[in-house]
Amino acid sequence: MASADADGDSSHLGFLRHAEFRWAKLALLLSAVSIAAYVWHPAPEGANGGTWLGYTLGGIGAFLILCLLWLGVRKRRYRSGLGTVKGWTSAHVYLGLSLLVVASLHCGFQFGLNVHTLGYVLMVLVIISGLWGLFVYDRLPSRIGQLRAGGTRDAWIEEVFDLNDQAIKLADRVAPDVHQRIVASAEKLRIGGSLRQQLFGRHSAGEAESLRATLETRIAQLRADAARDQDPQSQSTAIFMAGQLQHGVQDSGSLQKLLDLLSRRNALVARINQDISLHARLQVWLLVHVPLSLALLAALIAHVFSVFFYW
Amino acid sequence: MDSSRVKIAIIGSGPAGLSAAARAAELKVSHLLLEAEPHLSHTIHSYQKRKHVMAEPAVLPLRSSLPFTAASREEVLGAWDDGLRRLGVQPRHGAAVEAVRGEQGRFLLQLVGGGQVEAERVILAIGLQGNLRKLGCPGEDLPLAQYQLLDPDEYRGEQIVVVGAGDAAIENALALSERNSVSIVNRRDEFDRAKAANNKAILSAIDGGRVRLVANAAVAELRQTGPREGVLVLNTAQGRAELPCNRVIARLGATPPRRFVESCGVQFPSADPAAVPAVSPRYESNVPGLYIIGALAGFPLIKQAMNQGWEVVEFIEGRSPEPADNPLLAAKLKLMPGYTGVDAAIARIRERVPVLNPLTPLQLREFLLDSEIRAPAAQELIFSRNDYSDSFYSVVEGSVQIEVDASEGGRVIPLGVGQFFGEMSLISGRRRSATVRAAAPGTVLVETPRRSMNKLIASVAAVKRVLDETFLLRAIQARIAPGLSAAALQGVVANARIGSYAAGEVLFREGDPGDCLHLVRKGSVTVSRQLGGRDTVLAYVPAGQYVGEMALLTDQPRTATVTAAVATETLRLDGSAFMSLLAEHPQLRQRVSQTYTQRVVTNTSSPAGGPGVGVVQFLMSQGLGEATDVLLIDESLCVRCDHCEKACADTHGGVSRLNRQAGPSFEQLHVPTSCRHCEHPHCMKDCPPDAIRRLPSGEVYITDACIGCGNCERNCPYGVIQMGAVTPAQPSLWRWLLFGGREPGSPPPAAVTAAAVAEHGRKAVKCDMCKDLGGGPACVRACPTGAAIRVSPEEFLQMTQGAG
Repeated sequence: MASADADGDSSHLGFLRHAEFRWAKLALLLSAVSIAAYVWHPAPEGANGGTWLGYTLGGIGAFLILCLLWLGVRKRRYRSGLGTVKGWTSAHVYLGLSLLVVASLHCGFQFGLNVHTLGYVLMVLVIISGLWGLFVYDRLPSRIGQLRAGGTRDAWIEEVFDLNDQAIKLADRVAPDVHQRIVASAEKLRIGGSLRQQLFGRHSAGEAESLRATLETRIAQLRADAARDQDPQSQSTAIFMAGQLQHGVQDSGSLQKLLDLLSRRNALVARINQDISLHARLQVWLLVHVPLSLALLAALIAHVFSVFFYW
Repeated sequence: MDSSRVKIAIIGSGPAGLSAAARAAELKVSHLLLEAEPHLSHTIHSYQKRKHVMAEPAVLPLRSSLPFTAASREEVLGAWDDGLRRLGVQPRHGAAVEAVRGEQGRFLLQLVGGGQVEAERVILAIGLQGNLRKLGCPGEDLPLAQYQLLDPDEYRGEQIVVVGAGDAAIENALALSERNSVSIVNRRDEFDRAKAANNKAILSAIDGGRVRLVANAAVAELRQTGPREGVLVLNTAQGRAELPCNRVIARLGATPPRRFVESCGVQFPSADPAAVPAVSPRYESNVPGLYIIGALAGFPLIKQAMNQGWEVVEFIEGRSPEPADNPLLAAKLKLMPGYTGVDAAIARIRERVPVLNPLTPLQLREFLLDSEIRAPAAQELIFSRNDYSDSFYSVVEGSVQIEVDASEGGRVIPLGVGQFFGEMSLISGRRRSATVRAAAPGTVLVETPRRSMNKLIASVAAVKRVLDETFLLRAIQARIAPGLSAAALQGVVANARIGSYAAGEVLFREGDPGDCLHLVRKGSVTVSRQLGGRDTVLAYVPAGQYVGEMALLTDQPRTATVTAAVATETLRLDGSAFMSLLAEHPQLRQRVSQTYTQRVVTNTSSPAGGPGVGVVQFLMSQGLGEATDVLLIDESLCVRCDHCEKACADTHGGVSRLNRQAGPSFEQLHVPTSCRHCEHPHCMKDCPPDAIRRLPSGEVYITDACIGCGNCERNCPYGVIQMGAVTPAQPSLWRWLLFGGREPGSPPPAAVTAAAVAEHGRKAVKCDMCKDLGGGPACVRACPTGAAIRVSPEEFLQMTQGAG
C-alpha cells in the first residue's frame, strides 16, 4: 500500500519516532563509541584534533555537517527516492545532537580566539537554534489547530470585511459622526505586518477601547432620553406620533447592534493576528538556523583549509 | 403562418445538425436547418470566450463537408460559418420545434409561435443540453432579455435584473454586482436549491446591500422603454411592481429534451436518465424516417457527431458509405482468429456472447469501439486478485479460469465461450476478488471499460438484469458460501433483494430484531455501538463483505447499529432462508461462525478507545466511505511548510493537485483538498473522450485525451479537480540555491502559464498518486514531520483503534 513509506514505516508517527527511533539509536551509539574511544585513547600531549582520533572524529564531524546541510537540498528534490524527507529530518535531529559530542571530543576541549573555535561556537549556536525549532515544531502545530477550530484564515478575513461592511451600513443609518468613526476604524484595521508585528501581535486596543466608550456613552444617553420620554407625565400622543421616542429606542438598538458587530470583528482580527503570529513563530527560527548553518559551512571550510595548509 | 416543404428537416444546429445540413447543401438536397436560438451551435457558442475546443479522438478521421480541427471557440465557429456560407446553407433561427407529427414522407413540424414545416425525413440533432427556459411572458425575446452570460466583465454601470434562484443566477448576480447595480428576482423567498456556498454568498450580498432581492415575485412582462432601457413588470405579494433596467438576465435552467423526443414517438429503453434512444445502423429511430444523431443518440464528441451528420444524409440519399470508424474497428477485430471482415467479426461476437445479444447493431459497434479485443496466450494472466481494474470481460473464443484465493475456499472455476466475468468489480468498484487466467490456447476476450458498460446497463434493460442476477449468485458464492452450486443457493438467491441506502441512512439499529443479513454490494457501512454513553465506531465494512450475521446466529436482537457511510447498495438475504441453508451445510455454518467469533473478538478488544462516531462521521462526510486512498494531515504534526504542495507542483508540471490549507478539519485531523480515488469515481461518470482511467493499483488519473470540457471538475463532490495548464520546465534547485529566483515547487509566472494555456488550452488535472514516480506519492514523501499520510479507510480506522 502507498501509505507504507520506503522504510517500511507503515504507521503514522512523527519524525522523532521515525522507524522506531532508528536515528536516535544510531546517534547514541556514535556518541557512546566516540566517548569510549576518547577515554581509552592515550594522548600524552593532551587531547586535540591533531591525533589520529582527533582526525577521525573531525572527519566524522565534517561528514555529519555536510549530511545535515544536505537536508536543505534533499527536501526540495521532490523526485528523489533516497529515503523519505521524514527519515531525513529524523536523522538531521539526532545526528545533529550527536555532533555536539563528536565535535567537542574532536577538539579535545581546547578553545581559543581563532577560526577553529569560531566554527565550534557557530555549530553550537546552530544546534541551539535547532533545538528551538524542535520545541516550536512540538508545541505550535496543535495550538494552530485549536485556534482554527475547523475555520480558515481566508474565511475569517472574508468575515471581517463582511462585518465591516455591515457596520458601515448600519452606522450610516445612525448618525454621520458615528459613520465617520466606524469608517475610520475600518480603515485603521491592520492584519499581519512586519516580522516584529507578526511575531508579537499588534497593539491597537486603545483605539478600539475609545470607540467602544464613545458608542456606549451614546447608548446610555439615548436610553436615558427614551426613559424620560416614557415618563407617563410627560408622554404625549403628539411626541409619540412624531416618532421621537421610537427613534431614540431604535437608535440605541442600532448602536448596540453596531457594538456587537465591532466586538465580533475585533475578536476575529485578534484571532487572525494570533494565527499569523503562531505561523511566524513556527518559521522564524529558520531565519536564524539556516544563515548560521551557512556561516558554519564557511567556518568549517576555513578550519579545514587552515589545518591542512598552515598547520 | 408560413409553411414550407423540404425533403430533409434538420432540428438542431450543433456539430451533428450543421454537418448534416452542409452535406445536404453540397448534394443539393432540399433541406431546412431549424435552430431555436438566434445563433448556431448553442452549446459551443455558450463556451467561455477563447475556450480551446479539442478534437478528440485523434485517431478517428473526420468526414464532413465542414472543417474541424482543435482550435479556439471563435475559430471553430468561424470556420463553420464560412463553410455554411460557401455551401449556401440558410439556417432558420429562432425556430423552436414544438411537435413532430406525421410519418415518413409526410412529417409535419409545428414551430413555437405558429409556423409549420413539412418534411419527408427528419433528423433530430438536438443534443442533451435542452432548450433554455425563457421568461415565459410578453417581451421574452426582446434584445433586453438574455439567457446566458458569457463575460460578466463586459457590463459596467448598468441596471441589471437577474431572474432565477439557482446556482447560475446567483453566480451571475454576484459577478455582475461588482460593477453594476443588480437586482435578483426569486419566485420564492429562499435560495435553498443552490449550493451551500452560493446560498451563503447571495444572502450575505443581499444583507450587505450589494444585490437587491425581489422575493416572491413572478415575471409578468418585459417592456422596452428606450434604446437599451426597459421595465420588467413583476407580480409580487404586495401587488404589481415595475423594475426599470438596462438588461434582464434570466437563468431558469433548461428543459431536458427527453419529453420532446418521446412526444415525437421515439422510445427510450429505460427510465434511467442516462438512457439514450436506440437507433439503427443508419441512425434511424423506431419511428421510420426519423433519424437521431449526435449526443442525443449517445455520441457526445464533436467529431463523431459531425461524421454522423454527413453519414445520415448519405443514408437518406440511399447510399451506404462505409462507417468512418471501420478502419478503427478493423484494427481491433483483426486479432480474432479467422478474421474476414468487420461485419462478419461483429456478427460472430453477437452470436457467441448472449449478454451482448440484445444490443442494436449500432450499440454493439460502439461497444466494440470502446472495448479492446484481447487474445491472451494459454495461462496468461488477465488480472490478479486485489487489482483495482473494473473493466468487464466477455469470452468470445476459448476459455478462462477463475482462481479463487485460498482464504476463500481456493477453487478454480472454468468459464467458457459466451460467459463473462469482471462484473463484481464493475458493480462494487472494489478490487478484483479473484485472479483470472486464460485457460485454453486461442482464447479471445472482449474487454470493455466500466463507462461503456454502465452506458449499456442504462440503455439495455436485458443486460442489466443478467448482470444483476449473476452478481447476486457469484457474490454469495464468493463471500458467503464458497463451493456451493447455484442450485444449492437457489432458496437464498430467490429471496434476496437489492436495497439502496442514502449516506447516513441506518440499515438496522442496536436492539432491532435480526431478520436478515446484508452483503454490501456497493458503497460501505460503519458498525457502531453505545459504549460508555458514547457512540463508538467498531468497524468499517466495505463493499464485498457482509454484516448482520451475529443476530442471525445467536437469535438475539442486533448488538450494533449499521449505517451507510456513503450511498450504498446491499443484497439483503432473508434470515430464514439463510438459516435453512446453514442447517443444510454444516461446513458453511462453521465458516460463518468463525467470522462471527472474529468479530466478537475485535469488537470487545476495541472498547471506548476506538474512534468516536464524531471523527468517523466527519471523515465519512469527506468521502472516506467511498475512498480507496485519502490524504490526511495530522495538524498536531504539520508545521505548515507546504512542502507537500510544492512537491506536487514540482512533479506535476507546476500545478499542485492538492491544496493543503483548503478542506475541513476535525480534532487535529485535516482533510486537504486532494483526490480520494473513490471506488466509483464521480469524475469518470461523464468524460466525453473517456480520458479518466484507473490503474490496477487503484490510482485514478487523467490521460492526455482530455478535451478540457470541465465535466469532471463539476462532477467531483470534493472539488479536487481543477482546470490547469501544465508547464514543461520546472525551476532548477541549484540555480535557486545559488542565485535565487524561482524556488522549486513555486507556481510558474503568469506569462508562462498564459503561454501554456494558449498552446494547449486548460485541461483537467488531479492527483495521480505519482504513478509515474517510484516510491509513492511525492506529497507524503516530502513531508518532513510525518504529518501527511495517505491511507485507505480500513487502514485509517485500524490505526486509530490501534492507537487507542
